[in-house]
Amino acid sequence: MSTAARRRLMRDFKRLQEDPPAGVSGAPGENNIMVWNAVIFGPHDTPFEDGTFKLTMEFSEEYPNKPPVVKFLSKMFHPNIYADGGICLDILQNRWSPTYDVSAILTSIQSLLSDPNPNSPANSMAAQLFKENRREYEKRVKACVEQSWCDD
Amino acid sequence: MSSESPPPAASGDNQDELILAQKEAIAQDIASNASLVGNLEPVYSLEREFSHDAVFMTKIGNLKGRYAELRRTRPDGNCFFRAVAYRYFELLLHRPDEYERIKALLPRAKAQMIELGMPTFTLEDFYDNFMDHVDRVGQAHMDAQQLFETFNEPGQSDYLVVFLRLLTSMQLQRNAEFYQNFMEGDKTVAEFCATEVEPMYNESDHIHITALTEATGISLRVIYLDRGSQTEASLHDFPDQGESAATTPLVHLLYRPGHYDVIYPVKSTSESGPATSNATVTTTAELSS
Repeated sequence: MSTAARRRLMRDFKRLQEDPPAGVSGAPGENNIMVWNAVIFGPHDTPFEDGTFKLTMEFSEEYPNKPPVVKFLSKMFHPNIYADGGICLDILQNRWSPTYDVSAILTSIQSLLSDPNPNSPANSMAAQLFKENRREYEKRVKACVEQSWCDD
Repeated sequence: MSSESPPPAASGDNQDELILAQKEAIAQDIASNASLVGNLEPVYSLEREFSHDAVFMTKIGNLKGRYAELRRTRPDGNCFFRAVAYRYFELLLHRPDEYERIKALLPRAKAQMIELGMPTFTLEDFYDNFMDHVDRVGQAHMDAQQLFETFNEPGQSDYLVVFLRLLTSMQLQRNAEFYQNFMEGDKTVAEFCATEVEPMYNESDHIHITALTEATGISLRVIYLDRGSQTEASLHDFPDQGESAATTPLVHLLYRPGHYDVIYPVKSTSESGPATSNATVTTTAELSS
């Protein structure tokens, strides 16, 4: 059935292929346009550099009026990412605008990796280390980067 | 929403997700109890809800002389935009003058939205969809029944609502200096638009109404049915024409605290022709507090 959400997701996918943003990629699953797999490459000049972090995006029929549920599958160490991979990012919650598309979501998450917000922590250990012990923070992040290469 | 059950509540858990899940449950409950846009009902149907309330009963009694019918909208935070959109499209069914006007206005509005930095790719999707419906209704490719069905199909209905939200956001941001006076605390107009205007399901206030009527030129009268002390429900016209009001606004809404429905004046039901300017309604434009 062609619904507003599905039509829009096809449009998002087409745009992602025709005009791919740097450092992110994403595509619907084989049998279900409502569930996408995505990869975010760790931004240069950050401890996440060289990481290939995998995510899932689950869309509801209310997309784009409601944001998708986006989760990291790769293990992450970041002040705004929960242990279960959930992401604490305002545009995925109270600042969601229907004008955001998949491309905008992925690039926003990519910039969250570069610029954590330690004042609104989802991982208090990561937030504390980010503020007080940057070396240890970077060490823990690097471990996630190396682990990201081994994920399926 | 994720089909996984939420993790047990403990510190460090994903609280955002728990809050979202609870909001979702409330929204589902409302959705199962109210259509997005309801059928026409007589204004006196309001009396059933307020039979215990003398102030409301007096005001409803006085409304009955001026308003014939009511069309309820779902109280999902989008009611103001959905009510305006529905009533306006309904008017376009038999108002070629208004069709020509809005058809000329919308492309300019779109250019202003792009100028403001709204993402072109997604904006065009909402714009094209809205324009397509304006054309279908204005050129009689869609009748009242199809319009009703369209507005009760959630995806499509919300697509039309989004465009009005974006128009409102555009108007506020283009006149940010003026609207900054109405912001609470040190919130900027851009921040207000990002949190209170563009996201769906956020309720509308006076400022949304002002901006939307300015952006679209759609004149609007809101009848406030509240527990104020007067015996007449107070009303407010957008744009405010003061005492010199010469014409009756296009769209009439009934406001009850926290909610807007469409209301139809006695002399201009959905089937009437161009609005006549016999000002039978007083235009005190008194603002309820």
